[in-house]
Amino acid sequence: MSSVNGAVPTTIIVAGLALAGYALLMTALNRRMNVPLLAAVGVLEILLLVEVGIIVAKLTGGQRPAALATLIGYLIATPIVPVVAAFWGLMERSRWGPAVIAVAGLVAAVLMVRLHQIWPVIHV
Amino acid sequence: MSEPAASPGPAASPGPAASPGPAASPEPAASQPDSTRTGPGRLLVAVYGLFALSASARAGVQIATKFGHAPVAYVLSAFAGVVYILATVTLTLGSPTARRIAVLSCSVELAGVLAVGTWSLADPASFPDATVWSGYGSGYGFVPLVLPVFGLLWLRRWSRRARTRGTIVVSAEDTGEAAGGGIAHGEGGDHGMVSTG
Repeated sequence: MSSVNGAVPTTIIVAGLALAGYALLMTALNRRMNVPLLAAVGVLEILLLVEVGIIVAKLTGGQRPAALATLIGYLIATPIVPVVAAFWGLMERSRWGPAVIAVAGLVAAVLMVRLHQIWPVIHV
Repeated sequence: MSEPAASPGPAASPGPAASPGPAASPEPAASQPDSTRTGPGRLLVAVYGLFALSASARAGVQIATKFGHAPVAYVLSAFAGVVYILATVTLTLGSPTARRIAVLSCSVELAGVLAVGTWSLADPASFPDATVWSGYGSGYGFVPLVLPVFGLLWLRRWSRRARTRGTIVVSAEDTGEAAGGGIAHGEGGDHGMVSTG
């Protein structure tokens, strides 16, 4: 069980950083938003939702972190980040659309580290 | 009317027109950023929005749950949050008034991160808990230090472009003498159109 708990955040960190790298490459090459990039954002979103589900399951199981309010804030904000970034990036018709997606990828990775700091039960 | 318009036109256009023109036209040739929230501004607003959310949410939770623990840090976090919200909103709106407020909030932000950064290093006792600006934003990858600099650069570049555009409009309506400056600007845009079309 704990190995699964660790695997999802680790996957998110790797996926987020890979997405950020790919999106920044697109920005460097002057590419606009395209379907493969959006699909990659969708994959990241699914992974984040899985992670939120795992944490909610822990909470409903009776476990509580010291900073419960902060954790709940993170649980709400985390799945919103890629969605907002996708919309905001799609509104842009230049290389800067993918740059917004790169930020979302980096934020997803940072959020996993922060979640672990807030509640060490969440393994990375 | 034509004289004051024509004299700042050629005086202002060679400098700013030469630098943002060639610098700006190759990248977004097809779609020139037409407001402070497009082009590089898209990224800027995204990062500002992120910090507006994280700084104010964090400050809100800290003030609500444990204000006595580090009052100075939490009040400063809340202030930083307000400044980030102001910068995000004004950069998104992009009107001349909004841009003026954006310049102000970016300046306050830069002053804040430098002042609080220095203060937090000189007197760590006042900061039992970190703010966004502690250690010059080291807890946030120094983004809080870099962000206002890029914000101010972007706002300056954009207001210059708006000013040169203003002269194009004037020159189009005015005599051919002033239009000479306008043609110089138009070149960059025309090249973009040719290459795309």
